[in-house]
Amino acid sequence: MLTSIKSNHLTSSGQRLGMMYFRVAIILFGAQLLMGLIAAIQFIYPAFLFELFDFSVARMVHINALVVWMLYAMIGATYYMLSDETEHEGVAIGLGKLAFWVLTLAVTIVVLVYIFIQIGPGKESTIWLINEGREYIEAPRWADIGIVVVVLIFYWNVFATYLAGKKTGIMTVMVANLLALAGLYLAGMFFTDNISMDQFWWWWVIHLWVEATWEVFVGTLAAYALIKIIGAKREVVEMWLWIEVLMLFGSGILGLGHHYFWIGTPEYWWEIGALFSALEPVPLIAMFVHVLYDWGKEQGINGEKPAINNGPAMAWLVTNAFGNFLGAGIWGFFHTLPQVNIYTHGTQFTAAHGHLSFFGAYATILIGTMYLGLQGAYGVKQMKATFNSKMGLFLSTFGVLGMGVALTIAGYEQVLVERAELGAGWNAFFVAQDLPWYVQAQLWRAIMGVVTLLGFVYLVLDLLTIGKKARAAEA
Amino acid sequence: MIDQFTDVVPSFFGMLNQGPLTLTIFLHTVIVLPMFWIYASEKKKLNK
Amino acid sequence: MAKENLSVWTSIPFWRRSAAWVTGFASILLIWLTFDTMGQISMGTEADLAKGITKRVPAPTVINYHIDYKMSEKRGHEVPVIGKKQPFFGKEWSEKEAAALLHLGKLTSQAKNCMNCHTLLGNGAYYAPDLTKAWLDPAWQKSGAMQAMTGKNTVEEAMAEFLQHPSQYPTHARMMPNLDITAEEAKGLVAFLKHMSSIDTNGFPRNFSKTVDQFKNGGTNAH
Repeated sequence: MLTSIKSNHLTSSGQRLGMMYFRVAIILFGAQLLMGLIAAIQFIYPAFLFELFDFSVARMVHINALVVWMLYAMIGATYYMLSDETEHEGVAIGLGKLAFWVLTLAVTIVVLVYIFIQIGPGKESTIWLINEGREYIEAPRWADIGIVVVVLIFYWNVFATYLAGKKTGIMTVMVANLLALAGLYLAGMFFTDNISMDQFWWWWVIHLWVEATWEVFVGTLAAYALIKIIGAKREVVEMWLWIEVLMLFGSGILGLGHHYFWIGTPEYWWEIGALFSALEPVPLIAMFVHVLYDWGKEQGINGEKPAINNGPAMAWLVTNAFGNFLGAGIWGFFHTLPQVNIYTHGTQFTAAHGHLSFFGAYATILIGTMYLGLQGAYGVKQMKATFNSKMGLFLSTFGVLGMGVALTIAGYEQVLVERAELGAGWNAFFVAQDLPWYVQAQLWRAIMGVVTLLGFVYLVLDLLTIGKKARAAEA
Repeated sequence: MIDQFTDVVPSFFGMLNQGPLTLTIFLHTVIVLPMFWIYASEKKKLNK
Repeated sequence: MAKENLSVWTSIPFWRRSAAWVTGFASILLIWLTFDTMGQISMGTEADLAKGITKRVPAPTVINYHIDYKMSEKRGHEVPVIGKKQPFFGKEWSEKEAAALLHLGKLTSQAKNCMNCHTLLGNGAYYAPDLTKAWLDPAWQKSGAMQAMTGKNTVEEAMAEFLQHPSQYPTHARMMPNLDITAEEAKGLVAFLKHMSSIDTNGFPRNFSKTVDQFKNGGTNAH
């Protein structure tokens, strides 16, 4: 991956810019895992880094690094497929490069402030300069505004290039979806004394990102990747894409209601949230079927030549199809009905779902796209999975799955003991946290976190070396 | 069949919410029904 | 032969139009619902409180009232019940003062990053207790463990004392860190917590009053 900076076979400057985003994304992914590990250890040994690097700090950097690395990888993926799909060089890639450096500098400053300054006094200046204290979108207001400017440059690049170049169905969905994705960020940029109002709009950003626009993004990415990797027929892929858009937005937009059960919002959200969000897994099943079906079909057709030209990318794509359905679909459905959610809301159940779905739905396909990028960067026709690629995929998937199961067990204990048996409250919380089975589950979560980290080490090793190896093998 | 209104403030959606799944079924129906029309018009186009 | 191509189910325009319709209409519905909800969750006024009009999110001056959380036969779950006037930090707060105090509290809750350990209205991290109804928690009431530990006589003073020096009052191996919360900020935070406990959360957390009843009956409810 590093070598690709020097010897680059990508002819398009947009694709090269995409690779720059991938590099930062993978570094932030590493930061996310380290922070998660600190937080996991603190669950077991609360004295670990107490009043030095508290759980709140580790957890904040953990989830922010997650959001930011995924956004980086998404911007990278967009730039990567932009010139390929539109057959246009990109209207202002130079400006895009500048935006990349500005964004990276801003992210670095924000993270350093999170880590070293952590919190501030209860004044407006704190939410402008240090952190906004709103889960997932903690970035201080100055950075919010900076992000908006950078995203405007990015979106202009995509939109103008789309207008100037070839307009494929994939790019049409991409352009429309990115507008919604970027615009939604604005809903999280204000302060109010009313906590219900605060969380109402906060969910507009969080939910309409991860359960609507991000999912559609994954759909477009999968469509593009299927064409690239196994030479799937564009007409079939694009038809599926429109079906996915229909079902994802049809269920996801009003599925927002499942966050409005208990935050002070009216009772009618129970019904809206319940049934619309219960349908959210349907498109995920469709995507799963679609990927596997195309895979099987295309392999059968191309008799003599190998059907898959990028082994690791395809492996991550299939993991995505499965992980998206399992993590986002099944684990989400577990607790989406209000009758269940009144007990599971705010327990480790949510954490289990969060780990499985962010990894299954997003991390997997974004890593797969990075392999696609590497293939292009090294000009390799046929990229085969190495030992490192297999270990990276296996260990990280196994680790996250293990964490998900452990947290589900912890959540189950918490729901029954803290919520059902003891009726919530301060004492009930601590009784549940001290249950031996709960503690055991947290221990397993930490162990599986280490396994995930190990998988990440293999992954990075592979990303750094696979291109060179494949190139040497072809030469 | 129709339950007593329970929510704090009566509103259009609150009213629709008074029976078993009435609100959500109503919303699903108004979203899905026009698709029949889209289907029919596409069918006509294809037949031409 | 031509029949195969006639299927609408495999035609891209059909799915494209359907996707556009469903997305567009769902968005319009969401916007409509948002306007309806906005009206219902905007803060009430002092006049509402004085007249006993129930608002989902009451005015900041709710801190001048006694708040309870009781099972409602009609709603089928627990709801906040706003009762008689009750001094808060030994006085009655004017509309302006109460609003300013709540503002300080909400701001402090964000500045100190409460949400990355606790949950507020059930949202946040899961490392520390949910704060939705913390104001009503038996641990903070008279003869409750937390109030007794701080040596104060009222819920608000006990909470404010704890918030300023959390690591002086350890109860479990997992402790709240010292976050340099000033006396003023602590008052604001307690007002924020009291106000939050008065929000109608459709019965979340369920069974909370069970804890309260057991507590009143002298049960420890722990073992």
